[in-house]
Amino acid sequence: MWTYVARKLLYNIPVYLGIILFLMLALRVNDPAYAFLGKNATATDLADIKAKLGLDQPFFYQYLEVLSFNFDVESWANEGLKVSEMLKRSIVPSLSITLPALTLTSIISITIAIISAYFRGRPVDRTLMVVAVVGMSVSFLVYIVFGQYWGAYLLTRDVGIDAFAIGGFEPGLKNWPYYCLLPVLISVIVSMGYDTRFYRSVMVEESGRDYITTAVAKGANKRKVMFVHMLKNAMIPIITRIMTTLPFLIMGSLLLEVYFNIPGMGRVLFKAIQEQDFPVIQSFVTIFAALFILSNILTDVLYALVDPRVRLS
Amino acid sequence: MSEQQVSGIQKFMQGRGIRKLRRDRMAVVALWVIGGYLLIALSVAFGILSKEDVFDRVGPDNVVGFWGSQDGERRLDQAQFRIERIERAAKGSNPEAALANFRIGGVSAAPGTPDEVLARVASAWESFDAVAAHEELDDSPAVPPLFSELEQRVDRLFESPTGFEGFIQTMRMSLGTDRQGRSILFRALYSTKVAVQIGMVAALISVLIGTLLGAAAGYFGGWVDHLVVWLYSTFSSIPWIVLLMVLASMFRGGSMDGTLIPVYAAFCMSFWISPCRVVRGEVMKLKELEYVQAASAIGFGRTRILIKHVIPNTAHLMFINFSLLFIGAIKAEVILSFLGLGVKNEPSWGVMINQAKAEVLNGFFWQIGAATAFMVVLVLAFNVLSDALQDAFDPKHV
Repeated sequence: MWTYVARKLLYNIPVYLGIILFLMLALRVNDPAYAFLGKNATATDLADIKAKLGLDQPFFYQYLEVLSFNFDVESWANEGLKVSEMLKRSIVPSLSITLPALTLTSIISITIAIISAYFRGRPVDRTLMVVAVVGMSVSFLVYIVFGQYWGAYLLTRDVGIDAFAIGGFEPGLKNWPYYCLLPVLISVIVSMGYDTRFYRSVMVEESGRDYITTAVAKGANKRKVMFVHMLKNAMIPIITRIMTTLPFLIMGSLLLEVYFNIPGMGRVLFKAIQEQDFPVIQSFVTIFAALFILSNILTDVLYALVDPRVRLS
Repeated sequence: MSEQQVSGIQKFMQGRGIRKLRRDRMAVVALWVIGGYLLIALSVAFGILSKEDVFDRVGPDNVVGFWGSQDGERRLDQAQFRIERIERAAKGSNPEAALANFRIGGVSAAPGTPDEVLARVASAWESFDAVAAHEELDDSPAVPPLFSELEQRVDRLFESPTGFEGFIQTMRMSLGTDRQGRSILFRALYSTKVAVQIGMVAALISVLIGTLLGAAAGYFGGWVDHLVVWLYSTFSSIPWIVLLMVLASMFRGGSMDGTLIPVYAAFCMSFWISPCRVVRGEVMKLKELEYVQAASAIGFGRTRILIKHVIPNTAHLMFINFSLLFIGAIKAEVILSFLGLGVKNEPSWGVMINQAKAEVLNGFFWQIGAATAFMVVLVLAFNVLSDALQDAFDPKHV
């Protein structure tokens, strides 16, 4: 098992090196110091700001510097604020959207998929799938705009229930439903269309296999076959799917964070790109990529754990 | 085109997959819808909409479409806008010329000397004040007759076009105007062109790059395969929204800023991965097949086999991926435009939805509704088409 994990890690090292190389080059196409300070910067200002970050060093040296995960550099736009500090502050808001959204989406869409597969070809199934396809065709942004309008604005103004905030964030479990529940629900609704369709086709595929026929022939009841035999075997694609939606969640939560003013990692990165805050952009991008690779490795490992048929050697 | 290729295309068109696709009624409808959108996009590209129709004010702000009703305050604002415009023209230094050249959208000023116009303006203001004196514009029973009188007097100031011009004017105002008084329908139509353009270019280039790299990797194996796999693992390990943001910001301030090129570049770099993966897998399967072995036994070169015999057999995957990426590009455009990194200097559905954020809070849904409706129909058609393509050509796909 551990050799398998180690091998996966080793395999991903060149990939990560490549990502960092590419991102660093892309970020250096425009001179970051010049972009930040603007046209009126003097040569000494430019040299100063570059020297502080090591931008005047040879590229190879900078490459090693980034790979050493040194986040103690100072942000350009928010003077005196270190990147590590910004990171620390933004992790909790991000996770309080991402994790509940991922859990809820998976549970709800797997349930709907099972219902749909159970009634395959009948009106219930057809309706659910049509709803899923139409739901998929509406832009994420529209869901956010209307979600905020109805859930946070109209509900408070016309009904008088101040259940959800228009935006903002406060830490603490008590404040969670007020600030985060609405964004989480929107995120769930958006990703449900894709997930439900995918899980349904997994279930349908699985229900055509021989072991299901055997179980039914032996007289096991249909519900038991569905939930015990089939769900267990469908777990492999389901886990892969959940893990591959992680990047979508990073993106999704970025939009939600920007729109609902939640100070998570996505919003910090977005603001940094707007303000040309180079140290923050570079650090956050390296972190995002690292998280992504870790989730990939985790997928492979989980895959191997769930399905003994996956060879570890 | 050589004879051999023609027969290849004919064979493809008469193949099982196409026949299956033709029998799928939903897919045929979807194809017609997509054709309609292409037609709109082409006619916009050939200049059926003038620049003024898309970028200039054609009326007051946030006028509702023709079957909507609006509240008193907004009606009052719009009457004020109309009167002020004509008053400004009539009171200028050269009123005759100003009135003769007066135009908001297709509407021009009613004929008459400047003094006549000013008299009409004065009577309109009188009626305006009578309405404005009421505090409860929506509830008071005395207001509706006053309003209709005001609007009659305002209408007398203008001359609406007739005939074909009149039809265009009706179309122009049919979905209302946005916050800057621009025609929503025409902007949505123009956005269709932008969306189709982005979808076409991004999907086409991505599919081409992906297919070529994937086919080469799958067919040649060895270091080519390692390189391509490393390349796509690398690119797919950057969350695509982050990649898009970094790439879009890369072009900022450059000479290409403001064009669509940064958007294309960003989309292509993140979209080529999925066709590449699929084609690589398919080619690895194909190259073991007997017909490929037969071709190599005849003595054909490897490159020739790859280009003439292997890649054409991945055409169905190219179609499916094209259709999926088209959807992806349109939806990603909306998100990028919202973040301020996407389409600039021209309208797009993303730009429209982004602008409509503030209007929604005032209860004005025409702009977001129009952009969403246009987008949903196209994306839905492509969703249906990709499902049908997958059913027809790749039945084993989950």
